[in-house]
Amino acid sequence: MKNIFAAFFLLVVFSAQCQEASSTISGIVTDAYGRPLSFASIILENLKLGVLTDDNGAYSIHQVPKGNHKLKVSYIGYGTNSKLIEVNEKNTNLKIDFALKESVENLDEVTVNGKTKKTSLETKGFAVNSVETKEAGLRSIQTNELLNTTVGVKIRQNGGLGSNVKYSLNGLSGRSVSIFIDGIPISIYGSSFSLNSIPPSMIKNIEVYKGVVPGHLSSDAVGGAINIVLHEGAKNNLNASVSYGSFNTIQTSLNGAYRFDKSGFTIKASAFHNYSDNDYKISGRTIVDIAPNGIETPIVARRFYDAYRSTGGMAQVGFTNVEWTDQFLVGVTASDEYKQVQHGTFVTKLPYKGRFLESDAILGNLTFKKKNLFIKGLDLNINGVYGKRNRIINDTVAQAYSWTGKRRIRFDGEYLDYIWDSQNENGPTLAKITRNVSSIRSGLSYTINDNHKILLNHVYSGVDREDSDEMISLLENTFHQTSDLYKNIISLSYELQAFESKFKLNAFGKHYIQKVLNTQPVFNDDNTQVIDEVYQSDKDYTGYGFAASYAILPSITFLTSAEKAIRLPSEKEVFGDAGDNLLPNLTIQPETSNNVNLGIRLGKFNLNKHGFTLTSNFFARNIENRIGLPTNADGLRESDEFVQYTNLENTAESKGIEGEFHYTYNNNLGFNFNITRMSLTTVNSGVETNVPNVPLFTMNAGLRYTFKNFIQEKSRLNLFYNTYYTDEFSYKFAQGKNTTGEEEFLVPEQLSHDFGLSYTFPKEDFVLSFDVKNIFDQAIYDNLSVQKPGRAFYLKLNYTINNL
Amino acid sequence: MKRPLLNLKSYATALFAIGLMTACSSDDNTVTPDQEEQEEEQEEEASRWITVAGAKMGENPGDGNGGTLIYSVSSEDAKDPTVQIDPFNNGFVAPSNRTARLQASEDGNTIFNISYAGDTGGNYTKYIVEGEGKFTPTGSEISIAPYVGTAPRWIKLFDGDKTGAAVYVSTEHQVDDNDTPKDVTDDNYLYTNSTIGVVTLDLVDSQINNFQEHVITLSEEESAAGYYISRIDMPVLNAAGDKLYIGARVSKVDPATVESDTDYEVLGAKTIVLDYPSLLNPTIISSSIGRGNTNGYRSINAFLYDGSVYQANQSDPEGSHILKIGSNNQYDDSYDFNLDDALGVEGAYVLAWRPAANGKAVLAYRHDGSAEGISGRGESFFALVDLNAKTATTINDIPYEVDFELFQYQGYAVDGNEIYLTQAPVGKNGNIYVIDTETGTVTKGAELVNAEGSHFIGAW
Repeated sequence: MKNIFAAFFLLVVFSAQCQEASSTISGIVTDAYGRPLSFASIILENLKLGVLTDDNGAYSIHQVPKGNHKLKVSYIGYGTNSKLIEVNEKNTNLKIDFALKESVENLDEVTVNGKTKKTSLETKGFAVNSVETKEAGLRSIQTNELLNTTVGVKIRQNGGLGSNVKYSLNGLSGRSVSIFIDGIPISIYGSSFSLNSIPPSMIKNIEVYKGVVPGHLSSDAVGGAINIVLHEGAKNNLNASVSYGSFNTIQTSLNGAYRFDKSGFTIKASAFHNYSDNDYKISGRTIVDIAPNGIETPIVARRFYDAYRSTGGMAQVGFTNVEWTDQFLVGVTASDEYKQVQHGTFVTKLPYKGRFLESDAILGNLTFKKKNLFIKGLDLNINGVYGKRNRIINDTVAQAYSWTGKRRIRFDGEYLDYIWDSQNENGPTLAKITRNVSSIRSGLSYTINDNHKILLNHVYSGVDREDSDEMISLLENTFHQTSDLYKNIISLSYELQAFESKFKLNAFGKHYIQKVLNTQPVFNDDNTQVIDEVYQSDKDYTGYGFAASYAILPSITFLTSAEKAIRLPSEKEVFGDAGDNLLPNLTIQPETSNNVNLGIRLGKFNLNKHGFTLTSNFFARNIENRIGLPTNADGLRESDEFVQYTNLENTAESKGIEGEFHYTYNNNLGFNFNITRMSLTTVNSGVETNVPNVPLFTMNAGLRYTFKNFIQEKSRLNLFYNTYYTDEFSYKFAQGKNTTGEEEFLVPEQLSHDFGLSYTFPKEDFVLSFDVKNIFDQAIYDNLSVQKPGRAFYLKLNYTINNL
Repeated sequence: MKRPLLNLKSYATALFAIGLMTACSSDDNTVTPDQEEQEEEQEEEASRWITVAGAKMGENPGDGNGGTLIYSVSSEDAKDPTVQIDPFNNGFVAPSNRTARLQASEDGNTIFNISYAGDTGGNYTKYIVEGEGKFTPTGSEISIAPYVGTAPRWIKLFDGDKTGAAVYVSTEHQVDDNDTPKDVTDDNYLYTNSTIGVVTLDLVDSQINNFQEHVITLSEEESAAGYYISRIDMPVLNAAGDKLYIGARVSKVDPATVESDTDYEVLGAKTIVLDYPSLLNPTIISSSIGRGNTNGYRSINAFLYDGSVYQANQSDPEGSHILKIGSNNQYDDSYDFNLDDALGVEGAYVLAWRPAANGKAVLAYRHDGSAEGISGRGESFFALVDLNAKTATTINDIPYEVDFELFQYQGYAVDGNEIYLTQAPVGKNGNIYVIDTETGTVTKGAELVNAEGSHFIGAW
């Protein structure tokens, strides 16, 4: 298999190199602001010879015969432009640049084979979805909700706004999925700057890579990666929005950018503030009022301690689009978050009141981007973040509350205080975790010519963590070990385009280096000083993969990708945790997963005013060396003995198919539908069984209709309808074929409907939107059957000024 | 739920027949007092339900983390080696996120469960046994979680299925910082407090009887050295019914660093004694015969026999003992029953035991010489024990093999002098065995159909 692949690879490389040119026309296509336009089409009209511009807006047409030619350039959403040129012996290397003007009116007329950024990304071979945020940014939609409608993505959220979120890609979640903001691991920013808090209006688009993650997003994730691309914001604009709705939910955001034309000096700033009481109603078997003698009465309860607030912002200054740099920005990111905790992982009969989390982060950031550095085709970009994060878990209230929101009464008539002196049964805590974090991502790419490109990427991330707890003595705090984690991931990728760009290949190798530093404070010999005993471990591993696509016809593309992905063991898994009776395992191996995707993309087909796109992807994952606790862990811990993490023998396997269908009519009507059906199994009791707590069958559908000139001339009214379906799934391993009592652990089938409308005023500066979520007020659940909000209404006002 | 009234009635009637065997199968539901007397003579022929529990593999063979399944057969079927029992495919899934701790009424007609951890943690439910995988919930569901949390340790008291007791402990280290909160070098560890909570539960009417909490500290010398009670479990009533004994595990921290100690001198076995039913006036009693822990693991660890409570201890450097707590509510140190000596092994460790009314018991144990099987734990054995003669003999009519282990073993069904037990190596089929404790006769019963990596955790 490997040999066939290698032979094929060589064949393609040679065929690509055989294209020598005599007379060449080249140049750059930009927009009116000088920003390069990629995938603009350049045609020599009389010869019917054409090419597309690359990422840098550059194009070149080779082997142009002598004579007069008409060179025509066009790009979706922009006007066309043409120039008459003459090719002769003197002019063998013509350089012709174009600057195109944006033209919204022309949108319907352009039928050239230009590709949007989204299409371009989705035809590179990776199993990737590009989630557009432009439309959603105007509505009262959270970033997480937007992701949830993406094929193959499932958001596992414990409740309402601000509650803990896990991302599941084709069924793999948790540590298997890496999240990035502009290529920087989001974990660096901490929970206060998360997809919970970032409004969609700050986001340009979201790239979701399933199973196979390109080299430039170096990560140790076996399930895939989500990359949030924020607005570059070199354009002068200001956008402000405010939304208010059910459960006293207010979400505001402000972002703007200004560039001084002469100097290129640029200022960018954005800020957000979110608040919600999250006091929605829930019911179910654990929502009961318990009498002092233990007897239960089922009730419908309003969540009473679940408020969430997050505030944050980012400011950057520097230079953009100047001679020495495309982007040089330094800035600061700051965020602050407060979250009340209503219950633990499960919704039990004991709601919390008085346990809350606070976190804040302040980080400096630096961005440098330069295309054609020193030589043409050499691009450099560097992104760095350094800062400090704090997280406090506050749980010192012993008073017991019922789901009625009132204090519990003991059967002797007194108020009940929990014996464990806190809301969570683990006892009172004022735990403070301070982390110094740093991450630098650098990428160097060299475009050899239209067909070959090499990329070298490096990501470093380091976390120094310090834990303390005011509720326990300094003596205990002092002798708590600390573990620091440093990760370096280097990747080398090779991109190839051949057969007139019909074939695209991205092959990459990744090298992972992990250093874990463990510090154990001990007394010196005469007990006068505390000294550190340091132990460290250095490990390195290698993974590799590729993505390839072949366009048989412009509208039929086959895609395939595969990766041997690696997840490095965490500090706890390597070094253990004395407080948790975990021994170190210095020889533990990383989890590896062999991931394969095979897909086809059909479209866009245009039939009169109808447009269709159909994509489908088959995927398979095989995870080995899963890290977990061994067989007798429970028993050993029970008797105060020590256990350690090991690599488990049983593999987990995931197979599935996902499909997506888009239909548009006359730019007024849009319909999309997607479906994911998969299996995620492991060997349990020698029997292949579904991995619990993973929905295996989901569908989403969305309908959009636009009325132009509604009430006022040049205004636009958009109507949206979305529906979401999740099949029944169990949150525990199925036991046997004929067993009874399993229904206890089922999360029921769910179907919910949202409706929204947005009205764009004629000047396009104001957009007003109204959303109803869960119209029919159905009980919807997520992770481990935690209930989510019922019917909710939101009103949002957006204000945008362009071209300040 | 076809005949709830009738079943409730049969359950209530059964309560009158404390200590007696009642003839209650699904076909024979009405018991009159007259019949009870006859049954005492006819108990050989009387049928009862035998409920078998299997623990399914989670990640690894023998871990039992995949869930608990129960299945019931008549005692005739349980004794019939041609009958096959397959709880892993046909059983009822006990609603518990981790291994359920099951209790059965003395007549085997009712199963009591308090689920352990997860969203249903701390819920008490009662099921009527109706044969095979059919267990019908009865009575109202109640929660003891507000008092003792979502992962309570509980046991049914031997007062005729009337009462259950659940316990909880939380610990807090006390440190004197010498009024210099920022200087760690002059800080002194003082002692560790254990706050215990005890709930008693009316199993008949499904409601809580009582709840008390107490702060408990070991003796000044022991507590200053870092010893403290870290876990409590296995409550048992004394003969007079006026004291509740609670088994305890003692752990130790290093006073210099307040980190867990692993290598230290093990103290004499301890038990907490409370007034009953008030649950007040806690005292700690200590044995000078046995050392280590008395909190057991998943199976009842202490039983009342002939006016005294007999208690097994674990993690004893000299091997497990059966200890005796006399009617004066103190350890009777004249009673010295060491299992190493009795069995002729080193490091005997009692996994689960159960006496019949005649003072003869079946006891599951492993020892230092046990070979380690697929689950990573030592091979286990059953022994026949005589509490009066202080003898223990390995039961050799039961087949043993290296993968047979009983760490999570929970229950023996007692029917007169007969004790039912389950025997199956991890992942392999086995059988029910019935031991006549009086004669020592072993009867091979129904075949237990196993699933890969799973094991059986008892009969009720």
